[in-house]
Amino acid sequence: MVNWEYSESVESQDIVKIKDKYQNFVDGNFQQPNSKKYINTISPSTEEVLSKIVISNEKDVNNAIKSAQMGFEKWSKTSPHERSKYLFKLARLIQERSREFAVLESMDGGKPIKESRDFDLPQVAANFFYFAGWADKIDLSWGAKSLKPHGVVGQIIPWNFPLLMLSWKIAPALATGNTVVLKPAETTSLTALLFAELCEQAGIPDGVVNIITGDGTTGSLLVNHKDINKIAFTGSTQVGKSIQKSLAGRDVGLTLELGGKAANIIYEDAAIDQAVEGVVNGIFFNQGHVCCAGSRLLLQESIHDEFVAKLEKRMQTLRVGNPLDKNTDIGAINSKEQLDKIEGLVNEGVSDGGKIFQTECELPGNGFWFKPTLFTDVQPSYSIAREEIFGPVLTTLTFRTPQEAIEIANNTEYGLSAGVWTEKGSKILWTADRLQAGVVWANTFNKFDPASPFGGYKESGFGREGGRQGLLSYLKAES
Amino acid sequence: MNNKTEAQSIKWENILELVFDSRIDSVGLNERVNSLATRSIKKESKLDALNMIVSMCDLTTLEGEDTEGKISQMVAKAITPNPSDLDIKNVAAVCVYPSLVSIAKEKVGNSGVKVAAVSSYFPSGQVPMESKLLDTKYAIESGADEIDIVINRKAFLEGDYRRVYDEIVALKEACGDVHLKTILEVGDLKTYENIRKASLISLAAGSDFIKTSTGKLSVGSSRQACYVMAKAVLDFKNLTGLSAGIKVAGGIRDAKDAIRYLVLINEEMGDEWLTPNLFRFGASSLLDDVLKQIKKLKTGAYQASYYFPRG
Amino acid sequence: MIEIKKTYKNYVGGKYIRSESGKTFTLNLKNDSFEVPLTSKKDIRDAVTSSKAGFAKWSEISPYTKTQILYRLSEMIEGHKDSYIDLLVLGGSTKNQAKKDVETAIENIVWYAGLADKWEQVSGNLNPVNGEYFNISHQNPIGVVFSLNSDSNSLTSLLNSIIQPLTVGCSVISFSEESSIIALKFAEDINNSDFPPGSLNILSGQFEKIFEDVSKHVEINLVSICKIIPNEILKKIQENASSSVKRIINMPSEDGISSILPFLETKTVWHPKGT
Repeated sequence: MVNWEYSESVESQDIVKIKDKYQNFVDGNFQQPNSKKYINTISPSTEEVLSKIVISNEKDVNNAIKSAQMGFEKWSKTSPHERSKYLFKLARLIQERSREFAVLESMDGGKPIKESRDFDLPQVAANFFYFAGWADKIDLSWGAKSLKPHGVVGQIIPWNFPLLMLSWKIAPALATGNTVVLKPAETTSLTALLFAELCEQAGIPDGVVNIITGDGTTGSLLVNHKDINKIAFTGSTQVGKSIQKSLAGRDVGLTLELGGKAANIIYEDAAIDQAVEGVVNGIFFNQGHVCCAGSRLLLQESIHDEFVAKLEKRMQTLRVGNPLDKNTDIGAINSKEQLDKIEGLVNEGVSDGGKIFQTECELPGNGFWFKPTLFTDVQPSYSIAREEIFGPVLTTLTFRTPQEAIEIANNTEYGLSAGVWTEKGSKILWTADRLQAGVVWANTFNKFDPASPFGGYKESGFGREGGRQGLLSYLKAES
Repeated sequence: MNNKTEAQSIKWENILELVFDSRIDSVGLNERVNSLATRSIKKESKLDALNMIVSMCDLTTLEGEDTEGKISQMVAKAITPNPSDLDIKNVAAVCVYPSLVSIAKEKVGNSGVKVAAVSSYFPSGQVPMESKLLDTKYAIESGADEIDIVINRKAFLEGDYRRVYDEIVALKEACGDVHLKTILEVGDLKTYENIRKASLISLAAGSDFIKTSTGKLSVGSSRQACYVMAKAVLDFKNLTGLSAGIKVAGGIRDAKDAIRYLVLINEEMGDEWLTPNLFRFGASSLLDDVLKQIKKLKTGAYQASYYFPRG
Repeated sequence: MIEIKKTYKNYVGGKYIRSESGKTFTLNLKNDSFEVPLTSKKDIRDAVTSSKAGFAKWSEISPYTKTQILYRLSEMIEGHKDSYIDLLVLGGSTKNQAKKDVETAIENIVWYAGLADKWEQVSGNLNPVNGEYFNISHQNPIGVVFSLNSDSNSLTSLLNSIIQPLTVGCSVISFSEESSIIALKFAEDINNSDFPPGSLNILSGQFEKIFEDVSKHVEINLVSICKIIPNEILKKIQENASSSVKRIINMPSEDGISSILPFLETKTVWHPKGT
């Protein structure tokens, strides 16, 4: 009997050159920040310090916005054709340095190289390619001549898909004629700073793209700055609400992409093996650090036992380990804070009475790790059934009729995404019609495309990113 | 003799629900199979894997031009795949037409290499049942250890699943103790759901192994078909407790691809199936590529075909 | 040293070929002359066979990949700017005119490249029908398009006769007469750009010799005429086309989204909604 060992097929780190310390990218070049406060940025899989980034202060935010204003004047004078060509150029540069970006992303954020290489980076390039083509076709998109850019856009992005979120923000903003000040998450700033190098390489006019690092305080300064014309935020619902509150009474555009607690509905007439794959992909992809993760498994009661048995067996083959190992399926949890939060909620789930299943796997010593986890025997009132865990933890609930599935699925303040599994077409369409979710995946999950609008209902936010509808997030109708 | 649970037919009524409940989403399935192909194996395990593949090969020749001389050459290779590396053990079996079974049996001697014969009017099966039983019995009387039959695709595609089942039951009976592999011919079945149904019907009828293809169509085996069959074998085991085997044949050109099959079986079924008793490769050119890769691993240099004796 | 003069050939199925008839005709440019293939009826038939295969492959390619292939074409032409300018000058343009012409052509390709992965978002739509039905209209490319290029000594004009059907997924047989040299040279950059063989075939010849065959050939789905032709010929083409309900477009619009509409077929799909 052969004991199968997959190779430590580790992607080399040599391709990446990380500086000891990073500056902000403002007005077309890297500049010494005014703030003297630096923090370490670490690799969550080894806890080693990778570099230092600055926590930008009021002066830094001010400089960035001033630069973006001047950039807006330049960008407005740049013809749409030219803007299109700049974005195409960026797309090409990203493609060329893809491997470098992927390795850096995995080191800085903890996600498996398999994902950063095969999912994140191709999507990043695709986003720039897609929006490059809109830059000179805005009048085509809605047949409305009165749509104009906001001006200076402040963008705050999270740590779960750092470079991808950057592309979702910067590409459409620039394509629609805006200029940006982007603040990446403080635990994952390195790929954004490398992207800034590409902007230099591509010759993007000074001030059009500004990237400043910092934490919540920096974000706050950005949001509250008097000269910002629009804010685009992706992150937790809690912070989203406070941003919305800060902007009350001000004429500043806002789009929010917040949390989720998506229901993955499995009807009894689903293609079961593929549904199992979809459920696994839905919650364990990116360690569950996904706002649209299928974190609630809604099983039709008649197939509950069969499905759970297949699911547990499939979960057991998931490999947790070094993100740079090409065979790793599940990487490190992004930070100690996040790990603590996950552990807390899981413990609550157990004490509430949920039945827990965790795969048997060896976790590395250093770093932040959590085993793939499944809860069954859960009541809708448990916190694990209501709160966003943002980790590799799946909670199971049952239903008996389609109507009940809808009620349970919608019984949440969130409304970002949902999954529907059945081989019956009319049931897919009926269900999709009734789900209060901005994205419905039928017989699939976690599918993204720059051409496909993404965003939520209710407390998952408002505004869409991607597609023709996504352009509206960066345009306003002139009254 | 195979030391596993002997395959036996189960009642038609007991398999009906599983057969008609077959629902597969092809896009999702393709994604899963493709993601399995991204696994990479440790160098040490690679050598083990390659040796395992050799032990799982059924060296095959099924041509009108086969003669006793040709078979003798092939058997020699089957017994000693690489004379300059005796660490490499014999393959699982040789697979021939019924009229070549006697010579094959004579030449394998007690080397451990089995003699498999195709029958049931391979490859089309488009004849009355009597003819299918005739060539099967002839092959067994000539000394075949294993019989590879083809399912009645005509009946299957006409929707007469019962007939497909009954024919295999009859052929299984004719085989007695002789190990029976049932070829689904996935290239004729086309859809994954058809492959699943045919798998379940064949398993229910008592097949020891289900096999992807005759190798005579341009569409041979695929990892997707193998995945469908693996799921069917597992679901069948869940229902009956019986473990059946899988043989992939037709179109597996190189060692790299063969290893991907093993990865698929390992992750989807577990290592119980990683043995010649439960998994086989129908091979002709595959064996040479595996031998090349083994030599490369041991010496560090890329190899050419002419270093290895023709079979 | 004696100059090696280039022989320009037809470009069909990813290969450079002469006319099967062996015939050529002389193109007398302002500053030079060339012998180019005199495309025969059999050549047309072979080109259509190739275009059918090309259409099957080209339409399978994802919109995103089409964008990249078209963008690559612009990169290729950008790289060979000077040789296009030289050829246009031989044809009678001034250097400045030629430079502007090539730059405009490149810009146009980039514009259409950026359209390939999004035109369907503008042309297709959900239909709000009455009843428990999901109803969606989406567009498919029409198939094999025969396009007659104008006689202008211009790369932009050539592109304007080809890029629109190509962008939405049709395969194109581009036919040039007086402007053949630029077209046959352009084939080289097509060849370098990852287009599947047969998706774009480029022929030179005399339209009057082959228009009957073209207008009668059932497997050409649309004929696009981008040059002014005598009324009697246009009438004949339209009459012949009627026998297979072939689409004929005379002088198609070059303006934005309207430019792609003639090359599309709309398909509407209904599906009930219920449990």
